[in-house]
Amino acid sequence: MEDHEILAKFQVPASRNLAFNQLVRKYQQRVYWHVRKMVIDHDDADDLTQDVFVKVWKNLENFRQDAQLFTWIYRIATNECLSFLQSKRRKFFLPLNDVGAELAAKLEADPAVAGDAIELKLQRAILRLPDKQRLVFNLRYYDEMPYEQMAEITGTSVGALKASYHHAVRKIEEYVTNADTPAANPDEAD
Amino acid sequence: MKTPFRLDEHPRRGPQPLSSPPAGYFERLPTRVMAQVAPPARSAQPLAWLLRVPASLRTGLASTLLLGTFAASLWLGGEPLPAPATPAASLDAVPSAQLVEYLTSGETHVDMLDLAELPAHHLGLTKQYLQPSASELSAALDAQPAEETGLL
Repeated sequence: MEDHEILAKFQVPASRNLAFNQLVRKYQQRVYWHVRKMVIDHDDADDLTQDVFVKVWKNLENFRQDAQLFTWIYRIATNECLSFLQSKRRKFFLPLNDVGAELAAKLEADPAVAGDAIELKLQRAILRLPDKQRLVFNLRYYDEMPYEQMAEITGTSVGALKASYHHAVRKIEEYVTNADTPAANPDEAD
Repeated sequence: MKTPFRLDEHPRRGPQPLSSPPAGYFERLPTRVMAQVAPPARSAQPLAWLLRVPASLRTGLASTLLLGTFAASLWLGGEPLPAPATPAASLDAVPSAQLVEYLTSGETHVDMLDLAELPAHHLGLTKQYLQPSASELSAALDAQPAEETGLL
């Protein structure tokens, strides 16, 4: 079902639930993985994904159709992720590296990554990026999203996003290259 | 010498580099989300309509309800309690015959002569209770024992 059909049905009280169910089915995987790559842990990703869709439900009536529904949902998901990570640091008075170390520990426990040394290094390198830069990297590298769409989601200019992404790639390559040296230990660097 | 790592030469693990969620997760997720956003109608709050009413109207309704409750409590409370009776009023309520019987009974040690000798300003009271006629008084005096008459 196309977005405009979902939105039209959502405006009619009798078909509102059905339309929203269709919307969740259509976007749940993309939202879940977008969130999961930021918070790593499945349970956290599950909670946040549900929160995202609850917010979508509450605000869908006010959604302005001059923006794409998909980028609007992504923007909500992005804000939820960044707020979650920020509140986690505030809640436990954790410095940046400690939250990174916690996420790295969860990553190392993930069976899909744990068995592949180079992949583990890559994922650890990604985790070392600041949250917003990590978000930009994930959208571009994994989701292959056009910069224009990324600009809509993040509210940042295309030029700034390109610079952020290339800078992130350089930092990742540098980290993975030197990962075996003690200076590259994620608990000590940055 | 270390081989420099090049990201574009590294095989990318698709859009999901982490392990998949539990089996059936995406089949259940829409139902779980819908349970949060659109609870069944039967579980709707009976006064949910009140939340949709404008705040000013809600304030008006609350004031009316409060005043109505106050008025109803006053109305259902009945007439105010009577003021406590004074001793004189309580005495008025006792029948005269009962009073005379009580006063002339042996326990009070008052006889007809004591009643006849009440001070002048209490005469009205004596009359109120005894209300004797002249012949009744003469008969009563004649009936007194001779010794007592001699004392007068």
